Amino acid sequence: MAVREQSIVSGSVESERFDLLIEAGRGEKNYWRDLWRYRELFYFLAWRDILVRYKQTVIGIAWALIRPFLTMLVFTFIFSKVARLQAPGDVPYPLLVFAAMLPWQFFSTALSEASNSLIGNANLISKVYFPRLIAPAGSVITSFVDFLITLGLMAGMMVWHGFLPDWRLLALPIFMALAFGAAFGAGLWFCALNVRYRDFRYIVPFIIQFGIYLSPVGFSSNIVPEDLRLIYACNPMVGVIDGFRWALLHGRSPLSSTALIASALVTSVLCASGICYFRRTEKTFADII
Amino acid sequence: MSNVVIRADSLSKRYRIIRSRSASNSTFSRSSNNQDFWALQDVSFEIDRGEVVGIIGRNGAGKSTLLKILCRITEPTEGKARIRGRVTSLLEVGTGFHPELTGRENVYLNGSILGMTRAEIRNKFDEIVSFAEIDQFLNTPVKRYSSGMYVRLAFSVAAHLEPEVLVVDEALAVGDVGFQRKCLDHMRNLARSGVTILLVSHNLFAVKSMCHRVLMLSAGRLGFDGPPAEGIDLYEKNSRSEANSQAPGVIGEDINQWPIVIRFIELLDEGDAPRAVYEYGERMRVRIHYEVRRPVRYPNFYLGIRRSDNVACCSFSAARDGVTAPLLEQSGMIELLTPPLRLVSDVYSTYATVWGHEFKSRYCEQTGPSFHVRDEVLNEHFGVFHVPAEWRWRVNGDGKQVTPLLSDQLTEERSMSLGDALKE
Repeated sequence: MAVREQSIVSGSVESERFDLLIEAGRGEKNYWRDLWRYRELFYFLAWRDILVRYKQTVIGIAWALIRPFLTMLVFTFIFSKVARLQAPGDVPYPLLVFAAMLPWQFFSTALSEASNSLIGNANLISKVYFPRLIAPAGSVITSFVDFLITLGLMAGMMVWHGFLPDWRLLALPIFMALAFGAAFGAGLWFCALNVRYRDFRYIVPFIIQFGIYLSPVGFSSNIVPEDLRLIYACNPMVGVIDGFRWALLHGRSPLSSTALIASALVTSVLCASGICYFRRTEKTFADII
Repeated sequence: MSNVVIRADSLSKRYRIIRSRSASNSTFSRSSNNQDFWALQDVSFEIDRGEVVGIIGRNGAGKSTLLKILCRITEPTEGKARIRGRVTSLLEVGTGFHPELTGRENVYLNGSILGMTRAEIRNKFDEIVSFAEIDQFLNTPVKRYSSGMYVRLAFSVAAHLEPEVLVVDEALAVGDVGFQRKCLDHMRNLARSGVTILLVSHNLFAVKSMCHRVLMLSAGRLGFDGPPAEGIDLYEKNSRSEANSQAPGVIGEDINQWPIVIRFIELLDEGDAPRAVYEYGERMRVRIHYEVRRPVRYPNFYLGIRRSDNVACCSFSAARDGVTAPLLEQSGMIELLTPPLRLVSDVYSTYATVWGHEFKSRYCEQTGPSFHVRDEVLNEHFGVFHVPAEWRWRVNGDGKQVTPLLSDQLTEERSMSLGDALKE
C-alpha cells in the first residue's frame, strides 16, 4: 500500500508517493500484504527444512515411519497387554493407537520445530527482513509432510488388518485443521517466548513428553471418568485424537460433541492469542535474539 | 515529483541495557536497574535517486542500527523513514546459506531470502554459477566448499540482484582482497546504472572513491552530512582526539584513570616535514607525544600500522629495540624513524600503545593519523609487503651461473632472449 501524503516543502505543496513507511508501531495493513508477497520465501524455507531434515542419514525419510511405528508397538504392548485396556468396539488395538499417533506425532514435531524456528533462524532474523510469522508457519508445514508419510503407513496397517475406513474418513481434514490450529497456536506462543526466555527450550520437550500421556494416545478417552471429561477436553489434542479415531475407525470410538467444541474453543483462543502475542513482540525479535 | 528515495525524519532507536550481575536473574526482574541507551538519536536526512552515500562512524556510533531500521529488521523507537522502491539489503554475504544444502539449492534459497522470485533466480541461474566459477561443485553441499568458493557463490547471488535501493554493510568486505575489489567494482557499476546505494564502511579509501556524499554518525547522532573528503577529514580528526575504545584490555575504560596518555601522533618524512602520503619504500618519522600522569615503570612505546581492511601490517616496539626507562615521570615526546616502508599502495592507519613490561599490561592506546602509500604497480595483490630479495638463476644445460642483470640494463630484446633460454 503506497503511503500517500502531503508535505509542504519551501512553501509549495508537494505530493509524493513513497512505497514504504517505517515507523514505530507501523500499520498492520502492510503486514498481511507482505506475508503474501513473501510467500515464495515461505515456500523456500519449508523446502529447505524438508531437504535438510534427513540429509546425511542412512535410511533418510524412513525415520518418519519408524518413530511412530515403534512408539505404537510399545504403547500397544503396554496399554493393551500389560494394562489390559480394551479398545471400544472390536477395533484392533494397534489401529486404535496408531490413529492417535498420527495427529500426536504431527502435533509434537510441529510444536517443537515451531518453538525453535526463530532461534534456529537467528541469523536470518538479524540480517534480513521478512514477516517473522513465516518461520513458525513453515515449521508446521514441514511437519505436515511427515504426517502425510505416516498417513501412508496407517493406510497400510488398515489394509493389513482388513479394517478399511468408511464415509467418516471425509471428516478427517476438519480434525487435521484442528491439529494444525493447536500446533500453530501453541507454536507461536512458544517461539515468541523462546526468543526472550530460552527456558522454553527445556519446557517444550517437557510438555511434549508429558502430553503423550495426558492425551488419549495409548488409550481411548472413554476410560476417563465422566465428570472429568470436560476438563480433559481442554487439552486441544483430546478433540483432535477423538476426531481422528472417529473418522478412521468407523465411529466405533466415541466422539463427544462437547469435548470437540471445548477443544476447538481452546484451539481458537490459543491461535488468536498466539498471533496477537507474536505480532506484539515480533518487532523486538531482532534486538533481543 | 521529487527525486527523494529515502527520507528519514528524526529516527531514534533506544535499547534497554539490563544492568544486573547474572543474566538469568535479570530476565525476570523488572527492576529499575535497566538503563536506556540511545543507539540512534534524532537522525534526519534525505537521499536522492542514484546517490551513493557512505555512512561512517566509529564502532557503536549507530551505523548498523541505522541500516537495520532502513531494512526493517528492527523498528525505530521514534521518528519515521519513508522509502521509495525495492530495498535490497546486504548486511552479510551468504545470509541463510545452509551448509547441508548443495550449491544449487543454496542459490535458490539465498536468492529468495534476498528477495528474488523463483522465476528471476531460474533465469539468472547459469549466470550466477558461471560468475562464481563453481560449475563442477554445483551438487556438492556447501559445507564441503572452501571458504573462497563459498564467498564467491554467495557474492555471485547478491551480484545478480536488481535492486533499486541497495543497503550494504561492510560485513560484505570479507574474503580475500581480490574479492573485496570485486565487490567494490560491482557496486560502482550499480551506482553508474542509477541504483541508490547506502554503504557502511570503515574503509575510508573505498568511501572516498565511491561515494558522492558521506553521513558521519557519532554517538548516535548525525555529525556530518556532506562531501566525502570533508566528512572523512572530520572523522579522522575526531577519532584522533578520542582514545581508541576498540582496544581490548586497556587498563580501565576510563581514560582519566590511565597513568599515561598519548596526546597526539605526528607523521613526518625523513626531513621532518608532515606527511599524509608516502611513496613506496620511503622512511617514516613518527612522533608520539605523551603526557605522564603517574610515573610508569619500564614503558614500552609501540607503534602499529593497519591496512584499510584492518589487517595488522607491522609494528615497532621501543623496548624490543632496547629503548625504555626504569621509571618515566616526565611528559614528552618519543620519536622513531622507520626503516624504508615496503608496504604496498593502500590506506593505512596508525595507532600507538604504551605497554608495560613484556607486553603484559597496557597503559594506554591511541589511534593516530592515517596515511597513504603510493605506488603505480604494487597493490594489495602483491601482498602486505613487497620486499626486494636476492635473486640468482641457473640456466639448464651448461650449469654456469648467470650474473644478475640490473633492471636498467634489461632491454625488451634481452629479456626475450633470456626468456627463451629459460624455456630450453
